[in-house]
Amino acid sequence: MRTLVIASGKGGTGKTTVAAVLATGLGERGYSVTVADCDVEASNLPLVLRVDITKRTAFTGAPHALVDAEMCCGCGDCLIGCRFDALSMSADGCAVIDPWLCESCGACALACPNGAIGFEPQVAGEILEGSGPAGPIVFGRLRPGEDLSGKLVTSVRERAAEIGRDCGAALILIDGPPGVGCPAIASMTGADAVLAVTEPSRSGEHDLRRLATLAGQLNVPVTVLLNKADLSASGADRIRQTCLELQLELVGEVPFDSDLPGALEAVAQGTRPFADLDALPSVSALNGVRARVDAMTINLTGVGQGVPR
Amino acid sequence: MRLAVASGKGGTGKTLVATNLAVVARRAGQRVTLVDCDVEAPNDHLFFDAEFCSEAVEVAVPAEPPAGVCPPGCALCRDACRFGAIRMLGGGPVVFPDLCHACGVCIDVCPARVLEERQVRVGQVRVGTTRDGVRLVMGQLDVGQTKAPTVIWAARARAGAENADVTILDAPPGVACSAVATLHGVDLPVLVTDPTAFGIHDLRLMVQLSRDLGVTPVVVLNREGTGAVDVAGYCRSESIPLVGRLPFDRRVAECYADGGLLVDEHPAGRRWFEDLWTAVREHLATTGVAVPA
Repeated sequence: MRTLVIASGKGGTGKTTVAAVLATGLGERGYSVTVADCDVEASNLPLVLRVDITKRTAFTGAPHALVDAEMCCGCGDCLIGCRFDALSMSADGCAVIDPWLCESCGACALACPNGAIGFEPQVAGEILEGSGPAGPIVFGRLRPGEDLSGKLVTSVRERAAEIGRDCGAALILIDGPPGVGCPAIASMTGADAVLAVTEPSRSGEHDLRRLATLAGQLNVPVTVLLNKADLSASGADRIRQTCLELQLELVGEVPFDSDLPGALEAVAQGTRPFADLDALPSVSALNGVRARVDAMTINLTGVGQGVPR
Repeated sequence: MRLAVASGKGGTGKTLVATNLAVVARRAGQRVTLVDCDVEAPNDHLFFDAEFCSEAVEVAVPAEPPAGVCPPGCALCRDACRFGAIRMLGGGPVVFPDLCHACGVCIDVCPARVLEERQVRVGQVRVGTTRDGVRLVMGQLDVGQTKAPTVIWAARARAGAENADVTILDAPPGVACSAVATLHGVDLPVLVTDPTAFGIHDLRLMVQLSRDLGVTPVVVLNREGTGAVDVAGYCRSESIPLVGRLPFDRRVAECYADGGLLVDEHPAGRRWFEDLWTAVREHLATTGVAVPA
């Protein structure tokens, strides 16, 4: 069982679209694929795959620090220890914790002479499971404003790996988050390959380079898919040059398709079947790329082509 | 006046709006600072010709003490760490910098005072001036580091020293700690969405976050015409002002792709963003925030 992560660096390049088309296509070709949506702060893949949720598990995040007003003597010792400016004194002399700045480190609790600061566990999100087009799908939803999205990503991956092992999946396909920070690192660590979806813009190129650097640090090989390729001829050229320079395989190019967002939305609303999308130039080009991705998957999984589920 | 241009979903047009709005405000005579808080993938600088000075951003993490100085059997540092960043090995602590939150608790509890801090670089803040005179403050996380909010706060602090009339923060996508670090304390979140099911799904999350942070946001609808969602209807039902509507136009995407500013290179660009700047100022005036003329 291998893991392929769809990543980008820059947001909005088309990761979720590519993940949806690949997952559906691989399923049609008989691969058993467990899908994990690790963009836990803005999980969109289940929308387009119209997932029926079968299980929800609470995700516990960092415990929140709380002041017991009755025990607080207003000495202010807690303010001195906090490195995050999360403590202040109210007008009536009680310590107040700003939950948005608090990192739950406990420095204030240690400093308090009266034991007036305690911690309460918090549900910070949930892990959801359901069935997708090629098999099970696991995704996470983080409550807005919560910390530890990287930890939720890791939990989603662990659950997907568990499910994948149980059902004999050949592949874990991860729809990754944008960026190169915590959530992206958590989604890529230990994966077998990254498919980097980029676009022919200066932003796309800049962020592709950062993603490639991160993947290199994590020792995960990268192949590149150029989406919206005809938006800028010079931009597309720059991406091709970047791939050559960084020795990244460019696995395919997909044209910009202004009909695609509306079509995906129709699929999400249930008014149009996913199979319909094959007629769109972008999806048809993606289907063309699939042969290369299949080859990559075959290399990844060591399984022959068209092995039935 | 501090605005944050945010979204939830990536690729809706935050940088597009932040950069062009900054230029319009500058050309209207304001002292403007544009702060790129998308420290994992900063892009604002690609739209301007600016020379940058860089300052490193560092955090203090515990340095592993030399062998033999820890009291035998002591593991107070490990037990005090709420992030699992310290393990005991061979009679002394081993620190995992990626898990460390640089809170200093382990240092405070060490009875033998052998745990000291060392500075670890996590990123940089780069500052420059655009041709129009916009001060561009760019936070950039070092690839492989995890402390994005630390770099965001450093960029915001550096921007605060500029004493601008108008500070525009370009937020990262998402709704977690990086978004909170960018939105905390701003006068107005400007939420950029597109009219698709994904856009509205993620917009709702950002509206919730804005409200939890105690600010009522406004919305800019980008790429109008690419989806069927009635964003105006949603805004009305939530009593959120819709302050801008940018139509879908392939030329916008092409201009952006090549690093161009719409206000200079698209026939309608200047009007769109001047109208948006007016709408934002008018909205802020109704909320009692001091608005530059």
